[in-house]
Amino acid sequence: MNKKTGTLSRRKFIAGAGAMSGILLTGCDTDIYTPPEIRSGLMGVSDVLTMASQRLLMSGQGLVKEFETSEITKDFPAWGRTNPEDDNYQQMASTGFTDWSLSVGGLVNRPTSFSLQDLKRLPPRTQTTMHICEQGWSAIAQWTGVSLTTLLEAAGSVKQEARYVVIDTYDGWYDAYDMFDVVHPQTILAYGMNGKDLPQGNGAPVRLRVERHCGYRNLKFLKSVQVVASVKDIGLGKGGLLSDYNWHWYAGA
Amino acid sequence: MALKKSENWMYRHSYNVRICHWINVICFTYLLLSGIMMFLQFPELYWGNVGYRGYEAIFKLSNWGLTWEEADALGNRQWGRNYHFLFAWIFLFNNLIYVGWNLRNRHFSKRMWPQRGELHKDNLKEELNQHLHLRAAKGDAATKYNVFQKFSYLIVIFVLFPFMVISGVAQMPAFTAISPELIDLFGGRQSARTLHTISTLLLVLFVVVHVFEVFVAGAVNHIWAMITGKYYLPTKEKT
Repeated sequence: MNKKTGTLSRRKFIAGAGAMSGILLTGCDTDIYTPPEIRSGLMGVSDVLTMASQRLLMSGQGLVKEFETSEITKDFPAWGRTNPEDDNYQQMASTGFTDWSLSVGGLVNRPTSFSLQDLKRLPPRTQTTMHICEQGWSAIAQWTGVSLTTLLEAAGSVKQEARYVVIDTYDGWYDAYDMFDVVHPQTILAYGMNGKDLPQGNGAPVRLRVERHCGYRNLKFLKSVQVVASVKDIGLGKGGLLSDYNWHWYAGA
Repeated sequence: MALKKSENWMYRHSYNVRICHWINVICFTYLLLSGIMMFLQFPELYWGNVGYRGYEAIFKLSNWGLTWEEADALGNRQWGRNYHFLFAWIFLFNNLIYVGWNLRNRHFSKRMWPQRGELHKDNLKEELNQHLHLRAAKGDAATKYNVFQKFSYLIVIFVLFPFMVISGVAQMPAFTAISPELIDLFGGRQSARTLHTISTLLLVLFVVVHVFEVFVAGAVNHIWAMITGKYYLPTKEKT
């Protein structure tokens, strides 16, 4: 979706270069500095200042600090929802998530469903990072999974008008991530934690890791991945469950 | 110092100082309240990078008469987050303007930097004595900041304010990517949060003493001066 159609934007110009260029070049787009919907009044000004200044400082897409495995927190908390009531989820959990699958759809060239085994066959990435909860706690764990970019490539790459990746979960959460976060190398769908399968309290079978955001945006119990051009039709249209209820959408802080 | 109309009125505070002062009062009030609202929903402090409920804490509100659940019910971190960030930005801009302006017009060097004689042992002793006996400055002495005032203002403006901003920023997840060194500098993410809280307490202590001193020196006169700039100079009884 090109906002400024009048001029030949840099992104539009290079978009034809390759299938993934659409999302890889979003880093040049100006709307990486603003949330999908800017809140009214001074709060919106504050949101944009926070998001724009941090995005500017992160424009090199540098990695978050990765820790030594010796620094892993032994009793990593299982915070928030730890056992979705959803019947389907309970059914799948009882059989070790062999029936679980993640549908990847929307603005991708080849909508695909991935079983847990399918995900594990994709090139993995392991990272030991600090989880920072919005509420105040922090702890270190090692996460293993597949990068979101790799997953989208496996679904035929995103179409040119793609702007956000919307993720739904079995505990009723949803959140949208802009391409700036989607293409970050440490944005992964994690099926492993500290060398083992992801425990249920931490989001089994698969959770999202968006390392530059507060904990609550690292969704657990993933259900589907959907690529969209706009978040208008998602929830109340503000780009996520918490932003629908008057939290700032950007959660770098 | 230009005296206006009567000999006993002086122009004490520039309009820049007055505006920035009252904006800071509003910012500080909101930042403190919103900070408390967030803290209440996670009422423990830790050291290092790791800290969570059940982890070894260095401060627990529950040891001071408020259980986790009671504190949680009083807090509201959604409100807290929204207003903390909004007023942090206003606070930051306000103080950058204040510092820039007053460096430029040499307010700091002329009126706030301790002069040579002031740092002399005898003078410090004398001024401390005045403070301890709650004797307000009169005559010439009342036209300028005393040495303890200067110290506390300079520490608040050039040490505590920047420290609040930096220790606040060091708690942000994005900064693990932007500058992990900053978090390491504090000894970890939880340490930054703890130091942010301690620094808050120091600022609260400053405000308490500051307001108390205003009352000692004449509340109406000083508050009026900070609003209008005009200050009624108390005369010395004897010379």
